[in-house]
Order: sequence, then structure tokens, then C-alpha cells
Amino acid sequence: MYKIKLDHFEGPLDLLLFFIKRDELDIYDIPISKITKEFLDYVKIIQMLDLETAGDFILMASTLMHIKVRMLLPRELDEKGEEIDPRAELIAALLEYKRYKEMSEELAFLESDQRRLSFRSNFSKDVKVSIPDYEILLKNVTLYDLAKAFKKAIDNVKPEVVHEIRKINISVDEMVQYILKKLEEFSELHIMSLIDGMKEKIRIVITFIALLEMVKMQQIGIKESPDFNEFIIYKTEHGQNL
Amino acid sequence: MDKIYNSIIEALIFSSDEPISAADLIKAIKGIDGEDTQISNEEVDKCIDEINSTYEGNSISFRIIRIAEGYLFATRTEYAKYVGYLSSEKSKRKLSQAALETLAIIAYKQPITKPELESIRGVNSDYILGTLLEKNLIAIKGRAESIGRPLLYATTTEFLKFFALNKLSDLPKPREIEEIMQDEDFIEQRNKIMMNVIEDDAENEIQGNQEEQGNNDQAE
Repeated sequence: MYKIKLDHFEGPLDLLLFFIKRDELDIYDIPISKITKEFLDYVKIIQMLDLETAGDFILMASTLMHIKVRMLLPRELDEKGEEIDPRAELIAALLEYKRYKEMSEELAFLESDQRRLSFRSNFSKDVKVSIPDYEILLKNVTLYDLAKAFKKAIDNVKPEVVHEIRKINISVDEMVQYILKKLEEFSELHIMSLIDGMKEKIRIVITFIALLEMVKMQQIGIKESPDFNEFIIYKTEHGQNL
Repeated sequence: MDKIYNSIIEALIFSSDEPISAADLIKAIKGIDGEDTQISNEEVDKCIDEINSTYEGNSISFRIIRIAEGYLFATRTEYAKYVGYLSSEKSKRKLSQAALETLAIIAYKQPITKPELESIRGVNSDYILGTLLEKNLIAIKGRAESIGRPLLYATTTEFLKFFALNKLSDLPKPREIEEIMQDEDFIEQRNKIMMNVIEDDAENEIQGNQEEQGNNDQAE
């Protein structure tokens, strides 16, 4: 069992290159099953730490497993009738990545050299007024800059708050009539079934006022439902006489 | 050619905080002395060499360097420690490995789309592209004709300035894949970088101590 040191890897390819370098493997003849196992061990750790980056690693893990399976099957043949190495694509990707990883080290070298140079700076703004000219007006401005400026401008605009007031014509009397009509169909009604489907708060409020009004007039009675979760309204004899 | 142009060119470069191109230098000279003034890019370049050799003869602490296809005054690297001592700006702006890697790919493959970049890196690169755009090291150079018309990214003049390059072709050539297999000079290169990093760290430490000293003095 290898101990895996949790270095910071830039991605799954970086990690694979690390394994190859550490174990002095031949990049053209990668022992897929060994490297897949190690890779999965690492993914387990990284999954615990950082799900966000783990995604890319999990994708590579599945690619590795896919290659592993294809290694066990009879090889596919290309147009020339030669066997295709299931690892070929991965090897190409690794070499390409390695190439740019090396270049990034070259860049780091250049950067560190450049940091030793100091340019003339702290210039005050040029006060010379130039004749408007597209070349000058759009100097060093890219579409991205414009898009960024536009977004900033848009973000700064305070949203105009608009309240729409809609009058809902509903009166307590109407609601009383409505409930009575309902009670004609069903002798007992769950309160919730009355309110169900009402979009506006005011309707619900009116419904409650109407119910209270009707109780007061002894038109209806209210009782608890058998499971105590709801109230049921029913017509009283007094109400029926109306 | 007249020596007087050496001084004119020197003055023009001295007064600029951005790399100033040979074309701009010629434009200024012709604008004042007349269109028929005889001066070419090569002659400007020769003037720069002459100016620099005068500086060298007099042990001057700065040179005119060729950077981002222009000319700019820069202090000599020997004095980096002293210059950096007073300005903290330099020590702050080191790029991350992810940023360098992304820049390397964009620099060599530009213009490049995000999917192409991500397929080489093998990781999602949204965040790093945003950072590089913010730093103005890369820019959007249009859209590809492929499906979805993805944005194309390319390096900027600021990129050249950041790495003290004169033009893109001055970038080190990526090695062929066979060469990559032999790693010796690569290791050597890495050691060089390490040396620079160690020196930087030492500098920062000195600076840190100095600041502490300052604080102590104030306390007293």
C-alpha cells in the first residue's frame, strides 16, 4: 500500500503524471490497473475534501476504468488492420498536457526574471487633449471591457419598485351566499376545501370573516374533524330554515 | 544618421510609461521634422543599442529594453532587491501554477476556445479564465465558427510585458514529445526557478524584519 501525500495537483492529468514520474513508469506502456487503483485511492480522499474539483477526477477515474475494461477485451482494429491500444488517447492527452506544464515552468522562470526589472511608473495622467478619433477613443478597449462596463452600469441601476394593486371585488355577503350554496351540495365541508385554490389573501380573509359571521348568525356550526387536524363546517337547523 | 536622434528617441521613451513602438517614435520624429526625414525601424533599433552602450560605459543603473514590441526604460536586475525594498507591488503579483499553465496553453495555441483549453488541462477553467481576463493578460479575440460559436481567447500586450518578452515568437519553443522523454535540462530549469524563489523569499524575510523593526521603533 502506498502512502499518498496530498500535494496540490492541478487536475487529473497532473496527478497521473505524478504517478508516472514517481514510479518511473513508461508513459507509452502505462500499467492501467495499477494506476487506476492508485488514482481511485486519491479520488476517495479528494472527494472528502473538495467535491467541486473531485468531479474532474471522477471523470478521469471512469475513463481509466473504461480503458481497463477495454484492455481485457480483444483489441479493436483500425483501418490498416492494426490493433488499437485503448490507452492511446490517454497517452496523447498526457503528453500534450506535459508539454504545456513544462512551458508553464518556462513562464514561471520568465516571470521571476521579469520581477527583477522595474519600469518607469507613477506617471500622472496625460493632460494633452487629443482629437477624437476611433483609434484613440477605443485604445486598448476590448469587447470584454465594454461588456464589463455595461454590466457594472446595469448593476448600479437601482431596480424601480413597482407595486401593482388590483382590486378584488368580493364582499362578505357574497361569500356567505357562496358557502351556503356549497353546503347545499355537501352537508359537511372541510374549511381547507373552501380555501383551496384561492390565490389572493383577501379572499381567504373574507372567507374566514364570512364563516365567523355565519356562526354568529347560527347558520352553520364548526366542529373538529375526527383526526383533529381540520375543522368541518356543517349547516345548522337554523341555517336550513333560512 | 544624425546623433541628435539618439537624444530624441531617449526623451520619447523616457516620457512613456508604456512600451513605445519604433513606429510611434518615427511618427513623432517625422511629425516634427517633416515627412521626408530619413529614419527606419532598423535605424531606431540601432539608436537604442547606441544609447544602451553609452549607459553601459557610464555604469548607469538602467537600460532601454525591448519589450512587447516596443521600448521601455527598466532598472537593471542587479538593483532589484533595493528597488523592491521600497515597493511592495512586485512581490504581490506572482501567478499561480494554474494561471501559468492556462497562459502557456493559450500562448501557444491562440486563439483558443474554452473547451479546447479544458480538454488539454483536463479541468474546468472558468475561474482561471476570469482571473486572467481581469489581470488583462488575456483577451477575447472573437468567436470560433464551430458549433455554439465559443469565445476565442488570446494573449495581450500586457502578457508580453508581464513576462518581459518582445514578441510572441520570443517564447521558448515547446519541446517535441520525444524530447520530453529526456528530462535533464528540464530539471536544470526547475533548479534555476527554485534559486530565484529562494532569493525572493530571503528578500521578503529581510523586508519583514525591517517592518517589524519599524513597528518596534514606533512602540518605543
